Amino acid sequence: MIALETHDLTVTYRKRPVLYGIDVAIPEGNLIGIVGPNGAGKSTLIKAVMGVVRSTGGWVKVFGKPVKQSLPRIGYVPQRESIDWEFPVTVMDVALMGTYGKLGPFRWVGEAQRRKAREALERVGMLPYAKRQIGNLSGGQQQRVFLARALAQDSDLYLMDEPFAGVDAATESAIVELLKDLRSKGKTVIVVHHDLQSAREYFDMLLLLNMRVVAFGPTAEVFTTELLQKTYGGRLTILSEMAEKAAREGIGKIHPKNEP
Amino acid sequence: MDYLAADFVYVPTKLLVWFGLACFFTALGCSQVGTFLVMRRMSLVGDAISHSVLPGIVIAFLILSKFGKASLDSPWLLIGAGLSGLLATVLIELIHYRSRIKQDAAIGISFTSLFALGVLLLGIYAKKVDLDPDCVIFGQVEYLQGYPRVEWLGMEFPRPLVSFAVVGVTATVIVAVLYRILLVTSFDPSLATSYRYFPALVQLVLMGLTSFVVVSAFQAVGAILVIALLILPGATAYLCANRLPMILLLAGVHALLSSVFGVLLALKLEINTGAAVVLAGGGLFTLAWLFGPVDGVVLRAWRRRAGEGMEPDAVPE
Amino acid sequence: MNVILAEGLSGLSGTVMALIASLALGVTSGLLGTYVVLRRESLFGDMLSHAVFPGVVGGFFVSGWMARMGWVESEKNPLVILSCALVAGVLGALVVTVLGYTTRLKQDARLGVVLSVFFAAGIAMFGFGQPAGVNGFLYGQTGAIDATDLVLVLGAAAIVVVSILIFHRPLLVVSFDDGFAHNLGYRVMGLTLMFSVLLTMAVVVAMQAVGVVLVSAMLITPAATAHLMTDRFPRMMMLSVLFTVGAGVIGTLISGTKEGLATGPVIALCATAIFVTAYLFAPRYGLVARFWHDRSQRKRIQRENILKDLYRVLEREGFPAEGASVSAFAAERRLDPGSAERELKMLEGAGDLIRGNGGEKLVLSEEGWGHASRVVRNHRLWELYLTNEAEYQADHVHDDAEIVEHLLGEEAIKRLEEELGFPETDPHGSPIPQPSSTPPQPTS
Repeated sequence: MIALETHDLTVTYRKRPVLYGIDVAIPEGNLIGIVGPNGAGKSTLIKAVMGVVRSTGGWVKVFGKPVKQSLPRIGYVPQRESIDWEFPVTVMDVALMGTYGKLGPFRWVGEAQRRKAREALERVGMLPYAKRQIGNLSGGQQQRVFLARALAQDSDLYLMDEPFAGVDAATESAIVELLKDLRSKGKTVIVVHHDLQSAREYFDMLLLLNMRVVAFGPTAEVFTTELLQKTYGGRLTILSEMAEKAAREGIGKIHPKNEP
Repeated sequence: MDYLAADFVYVPTKLLVWFGLACFFTALGCSQVGTFLVMRRMSLVGDAISHSVLPGIVIAFLILSKFGKASLDSPWLLIGAGLSGLLATVLIELIHYRSRIKQDAAIGISFTSLFALGVLLLGIYAKKVDLDPDCVIFGQVEYLQGYPRVEWLGMEFPRPLVSFAVVGVTATVIVAVLYRILLVTSFDPSLATSYRYFPALVQLVLMGLTSFVVVSAFQAVGAILVIALLILPGATAYLCANRLPMILLLAGVHALLSSVFGVLLALKLEINTGAAVVLAGGGLFTLAWLFGPVDGVVLRAWRRRAGEGMEPDAVPE
Repeated sequence: MNVILAEGLSGLSGTVMALIASLALGVTSGLLGTYVVLRRESLFGDMLSHAVFPGVVGGFFVSGWMARMGWVESEKNPLVILSCALVAGVLGALVVTVLGYTTRLKQDARLGVVLSVFFAAGIAMFGFGQPAGVNGFLYGQTGAIDATDLVLVLGAAAIVVVSILIFHRPLLVVSFDDGFAHNLGYRVMGLTLMFSVLLTMAVVVAMQAVGVVLVSAMLITPAATAHLMTDRFPRMMMLSVLFTVGAGVIGTLISGTKEGLATGPVIALCATAIFVTAYLFAPRYGLVARFWHDRSQRKRIQRENILKDLYRVLEREGFPAEGASVSAFAAERRLDPGSAERELKMLEGAGDLIRGNGGEKLVLSEEGWGHASRVVRNHRLWELYLTNEAEYQADHVHDDAEIVEHLLGEEAIKRLEEELGFPETDPHGSPIPQPSSTPPQPTS
């Protein structure tokens, strides 16, 4: 079964194309890394999948259905820098937020939800910090809290935006173990990753991204000098120029957003 | 115009209670809604809405006058205010979408135009419809005594007080019911989107709620000080607590205390009631700034001396 | 000295004084507003106007007291009032900064707290007396301005203008990137403080024209209008001053014509009217201009698409000398005869099409061949390029080319051809034509 499929996905930010015509089909039960240079649109891709960022063309399907219908099955771990760490919530509050999806906006939080949150925190080693306001944590601890939230969501597809950025070595190995554990349970985990070397070790499949898909497939096949050169060797000028022109002129993508 | 609480020497307690209640209910509603404005860094938007509702209120009042039903506690004013607030939001989006004008400038252009329109209309028609323009700036809690009374539980209250109470309580209840949605959309809009809480819609609802509570606040403290009722309670509470539910509670307490002390202060110093309530609120804020359990300056200095654990230093943005 | 100036000025008529005040307003708000808009600090300007208010009220009290003590001549001494206003403004900015260093409150909340508490203090002070002339600061009063006010206004304006003339470049750098400013050795703190002081002065001037709340209309709206119309900073500044002065003068004149029209809001609405005009009608960025540009572009694209389809029909039939039939063209474009006829007329009118054999046969003119072959070449080159460069699915390679073919300039084409090694066929095997004014030889 295909966990995530996109066709001709295009995202423009302020008349500059960030993603152009993305086609991927990601099979479930794998640990997939998205790599590419800075500004390549890696974060934008998962935000566009979630519908957090608006796409100007193309469509997305998750587990064979339009994303909106599959949202409950997706767990999203955002970039640490996008969070307001001074927001008055504790570690436990954040973990509990993971249970809200299945709970709905109005039902009271009960023992079942609290237990789930505690278990998730336990799994990432953050249970002792449950009562701390999230600002009083180290980078690695903060990352773990958001992982716990995703775990509490009990999703089938996990989208993680640079979960390894700025964490200590111990946290990094702990996270990798966690991800592998998820995969062994049949979950699909897609991770935006910043470091090529570790990408080779950690992931089953790699998506090489630079505004468009350069290559996608098993790590061994895709991690070649030629393909990496294509990905990292300076932005593809003609393509990005034309895409930018199209965006600027307002011509944009005229394709239907949903599969006909 | 007499901006003081009339030239009386002897102030009956009943009057003080009315003023206090009027300010409290108004401040209560504003404190709950306003706390979320503070959490979402939308104080400027709150300021803008508080000014933008003026033309809506004035026009509603003028229309009511045509039908001979002009009164400052009419529910139609709420509708006028709501529409005006909505117009402001629409204008802001219109101005800064697809143009190089940034949001803060768009907000400025929008609310000044609307406020100017309101003041202009007020100036032209005020005499014809018996509306005192100074009330816009100064509020008019003091005029409560001039209104017809209603009976409740054996006590009598001026009619506008009832509408203040309704607005304040309703706003509080709505915030309580929507608490989870407001929390998640404020903290992490992406998670909110994935839960189908529709952050954009919530934003609109929050704007609407703000317009709603602003109408009462207008009448209590005047257009310019509404922002105080919206922001001071939440800002003060933020310095004292670490979790949102507690902050909302403390904000309500701030509303109560600033109303009580404000009314007493106005009486003692013979100053405008609205201003006094805000000054009382400012005083509470200063106390929180000094002694607040979370951010208090004095407390932190004391803790540092006692050598307590790692605390991230506050650095201005 | 004040008194001499005031005496000299009091000879002028009320209207002239109002106009001079508008000029001063325009210059100060226009100049400083430019920086405020670029720094995205509209709320900061708003805070200053509210924070200054208790200073003004206090200034009136102090001035009145000093007059009673015989230290100054008039009860409304502009220097005293301006000084007290400045103190209040700087104090407000200071409190905001201190709150920033000592609490987790964000900037917007800090500004809101100071704004409202200071203003409340000003209102509260009315309890101790409402000096004549203070209302002018609340509501604006260019209409009722007198000689002493004018001295204050001109004095502040002079200081602002001179300071900006001297410091405009460092101020610009600091506003844009204060890290870089440090690098250049500028005293960032000093400059920021100076900016706050100058802004406070502009605010005091603006308050007299439009009142406390609408100061933002003078600082922000004209500068934002200027921002819409130009990319260059000096021009933005000049336009900003022009628009502010315009709003001030026109507003004052209009409000003078009718009783009951308060000057403040009228001036503010004039500024808004100027903004709306620019938003709609500005030469390049205005809404109308962009609409026309989009429309003419859509027309061009449609014309090129028609040419391309006609080319394809001719290519399929082997480039017959007598041309293609109208029905074949209509079929390719998937149109009914009426719509097809309309499109053909469009091509004819543009000089791309020659109709032979009583209108039944379609032949491209020299110009037409040039256009058509160019578009087809662009399309096929782009398809080839996309197929080589990325993992795109076949269907949307074609669709993508349908858009990009209209955008490729000659320079991009050269680079594409080089990168692809001067190819002769596209991914489907069709030949990639060279643009030419003559049709290829018939092949059937």
